[in-house]
Amino acid sequence: MSRGRLRAPKIAGLRLSALIELYRWRIGNRKAHELLAGSGIAIGVALFFGVLVANTSLIGSASQLAHAIDGSARFQLAARSPEGFNEGLAQRVRRLAGVKVAAPMLRENAAIVGPDGRDSVQLVGLTTSQVALDGTATRDIAAGGLSLASGLALPSTVASEIGAQAGQPATLLTDGSARSVQVRLVLDSQTVGPVANSPIVVALLPLAQQLSGKPRRVTQVLVEPKPGAARLVARELRRLAAGRLDVEPAGSELAVLQATAEPTSQSTNLFAAISAIVGFLLALNAVLLTVPERRRFAAELREQGFGPRQVLTVLISQAAILGLAASLIGVILGDVLSRTLFHEVPSYLMLAFPIGTHPVIPLTTVLLAIGCGMLATLLASLLPVLDLRAGRPADAILHESGEAGQHIDKRATAAGGALGLTLLLAVTVVVLLVPALSVLGGVVLALAAFCLTLPIFAMVVRIIKPLSERLRGSMLALALVELDATATRSVALAGVAALAVYGMTAIQGARHDLITGLDTALVQYLDTADVWVTTDNNFLTINSFQDHGALASIARTPGISSVREYQGGLLDVGTRRLWIRARPSGDDALIQASQLLHGHLAQATRLIRHGGWAAISNGFAEEHHLAVGDTFTLPTPSGNATFGVAAITTNVGWPPGAITINDHDYQRYWQTTNPTALEINLKPGVTPSTGKQAVEHALGHRPGLVVETLAEREAHYEASARQGIKSLSQIATLLLIATSLAIATALSAVIWQRRARLASLKAQGFDSRQLWRALLLESAILVGIGCLDGAILGIYAHALASRWLQLSVGFPAPFSLGIGLVFLTLAIITGIALLVIALPGLAAARVPAQASFQESL
Amino acid sequence: MSALRLLDLVKHYRGGAETVRAVDGVCLTISPGELAALYGPSGSGKTTLLQLAAGLLTPDDGQVLFDGRDIGQLSANESAIYRRHDVGVVFQSFHLIAGASALENAALKLIADGFSLHEAKQHARPWLDRVGLGARSEHTPAELSMGERQRVAIARALVNEPRLLLADEPTGSLDSKRSREIIELLRDICHERQIPGLLVTHDPHAGALVSSVHTLRDGLLHEGLDAELASAPMR
Repeated sequence: MSRGRLRAPKIAGLRLSALIELYRWRIGNRKAHELLAGSGIAIGVALFFGVLVANTSLIGSASQLAHAIDGSARFQLAARSPEGFNEGLAQRVRRLAGVKVAAPMLRENAAIVGPDGRDSVQLVGLTTSQVALDGTATRDIAAGGLSLASGLALPSTVASEIGAQAGQPATLLTDGSARSVQVRLVLDSQTVGPVANSPIVVALLPLAQQLSGKPRRVTQVLVEPKPGAARLVARELRRLAAGRLDVEPAGSELAVLQATAEPTSQSTNLFAAISAIVGFLLALNAVLLTVPERRRFAAELREQGFGPRQVLTVLISQAAILGLAASLIGVILGDVLSRTLFHEVPSYLMLAFPIGTHPVIPLTTVLLAIGCGMLATLLASLLPVLDLRAGRPADAILHESGEAGQHIDKRATAAGGALGLTLLLAVTVVVLLVPALSVLGGVVLALAAFCLTLPIFAMVVRIIKPLSERLRGSMLALALVELDATATRSVALAGVAALAVYGMTAIQGARHDLITGLDTALVQYLDTADVWVTTDNNFLTINSFQDHGALASIARTPGISSVREYQGGLLDVGTRRLWIRARPSGDDALIQASQLLHGHLAQATRLIRHGGWAAISNGFAEEHHLAVGDTFTLPTPSGNATFGVAAITTNVGWPPGAITINDHDYQRYWQTTNPTALEINLKPGVTPSTGKQAVEHALGHRPGLVVETLAEREAHYEASARQGIKSLSQIATLLLIATSLAIATALSAVIWQRRARLASLKAQGFDSRQLWRALLLESAILVGIGCLDGAILGIYAHALASRWLQLSVGFPAPFSLGIGLVFLTLAIITGIALLVIALPGLAAARVPAQASFQESL
Repeated sequence: MSALRLLDLVKHYRGGAETVRAVDGVCLTISPGELAALYGPSGSGKTTLLQLAAGLLTPDDGQVLFDGRDIGQLSANESAIYRRHDVGVVFQSFHLIAGASALENAALKLIADGFSLHEAKQHARPWLDRVGLGARSEHTPAELSMGERQRVAIARALVNEPRLLLADEPTGSLDSKRSREIIELLRDICHERQIPGLLVTHDPHAGALVSSVHTLRDGLLHEGLDAELASAPMR
């Protein structure tokens, strides 16, 4: 070897190329086993990664949008209502000492209609001063101000949704009116980055003011201070705000979004954790299949002279190669999942925040998913390392039957049971004391479910065994003996089934309770009127419109008993974006009786109708240590307003909470008489459809307004509520299907691996049908054990989750067992597993008996 | 009791363009009470001959006569019944179920005949006693020595009270002392029950313990032990 020539790197004396070659030799003609092991890992990583990306994309895309618009702005002066404030204030901000840039903006909820459809958007009005903030999205738009004159710029996703093109007109619905406007620009991601996927439309400020019916009004001013002048500017802004506007950091809306999306985030985090555990168990089970031949391979290496350290290096390198390859595939699959199934943003969030729909994939998430996949593979592959222990003969495996997943001794079973029960008890105590830790408790309960698979397995086998021994002509005895003989693998598979059923039962049960609670809340919220008039997609009834005599016109219509103006909006208090509901004093019910937690309904209603009192959500009450009878202050557009607590309610379906006051208080403090809805009651005998038609006729041509009967509006709310938690159902269903298929595939592999013994049973007189029955029974018992374990713990987790929804988040979510759903879940997982293994099981059972004379199959 | 008679037995395998004559006109009679040893190099057709006797393969020519029937002409169902009722097979690699007790392993095959496991265990217990494992009936294979595992396998082969015993290299994994014990056990059982037994083996010392010795080479059966095989070292 010549000097200066680079030597190939070595690990424990082995070259990297040699390690790869050894791996290739080992898997040789056993690629199917290795593929199966890899697929188990890939499925787990895909689920884990897909759920994580769905979670991070929500905040991530909003963060990107905020930075793209805010640029170098440090502060914002923000209105406390959509009515905004006079733009003259923005000029005063500009003239403040220490201010480098002051860029006024107007933001207004709207809908845009094009040739192919309509989309809910946020209208953003900018000035050319935005250029100075150098936001990646707005600098080009603002700099190209001339090209935007009297027109809109649409992100490519919005343009695609409605079929709009540059140079064509579109209709903007806002303020209850419809206005035609030219589309000047379609913005793609190369121009404006993440904004291309955001539900916004951009116009110059004067046009935006005109379109929204808010002349000379802005809703915020972004401020960049001069170097060293931040504190001065903040002080001056607070002086200018005079207690009527909010002075906040430029990106403060992100914190509000995070708080609002917290329940969704925690739920998906729970699923990510369950997916990670499922992935590990799938990896463990799949890798167990390859244990005998890896042990033999390691023994052969030692016979050839490889030292223990070298054998360890070989084993670890092979696990790393498998883990890395499978994890990379899992990440790709997970990305597909996140883009296809998990990409929808809950509609209730989009009503209050401009959230994009593009996935945001931080590098840390990718590395975390790959790392977890590799770790799972490494841990699952450690069994052959036990043969390297001192005192153990190098070729011990060659003298054993080498069956992996053998009988589990009583100590291990007892330890599993003790650990499971300990975890169960710990979760119960902790969650009772600190309900906010329920989601973490859910993850720990999943671990408990797996641990308890051990004693449940032993118990079921013990219960069935005496029965099986007395039955004639039944293959149950054979099934039980085989099940017990491969107990480690059986428990791992049953554990996977348990986790899938656990996740499905807990989440779907809690979802069902939440839907039931929301439906009840919604019915009572809406049934104060027979017909509702509001703007498009106004789920929270927060978008105001100009009356233009609508109320008077409707009131004069025959068949109409009464018309009332409803008002409402969103108000940021700390990190809570509270839902302000200002019910007309003429409403029969100002508070939904089903949502009342503390206080007397009749008295509270009387107080609110009188004025100066409010019903508040329990989350807000707890945060500010309020009880019925206490007083609190709200930051309103006219300054701080003091209210008494008339009652404490649930969050009525809005996670940050709601505050209910009467319309007079709202008009006084929010300084607006613009309604966000009209509530109409019909005279007796007038059908809802007739009433709706009459109202539409009375309104005349108001394309910006939507008239709905009570039933239509309830259906609209129901759809929105279900859409809001749709991703949870999708994740739960996907978890169930993926684990069912994975269990069935692993079972099939186990059965196929047992062909030699099946052949010997055949040689001893068993026929194919008997063996097939035994295999199906074995699989059914195994899956059944997992289902039983998962169902019991899942129901408990369901109860904890519903309790968490009520106590920590404030949702109306009364617990109901829903046993039908549990049985449906059990039937699905068992059915899928048995269906998938039926054919491989039959093929294995038909193994020729003479194969029992062959050395290996 | 019936003798096992192989008459001009032929079994060929086709591998591509080549035809392997695994059994090529073998004639062999094993009388009740006799244990015959069959030697031969690897790939000589010994296992094929065993499988023909067990009704697992259909001969290309010739007959396998047992109890007045040509076993080679049985249907698949009849063949399964034949093995269930009349044949006991001892495998080289035991094929015991780890985690199941010795008694359960011995009894399991009777389930195929409609017995409950409880009844099957009652039938199997005397056979475990017979092979000397009565006191270890609740031990699992992992708790038994290699020789004891093979004894469990023998008990399993006998639990259906077969009328023909076939053993495929039952001492392949055992030392010479244990091998001798196993072969003597098989011989004694054949003698006690007056059933024919065919033992496929590589152990040159088995010849001294059995009733007759044969060698299969190139598909042809020869009397006695081939000199080359006689000098091969025992495992």
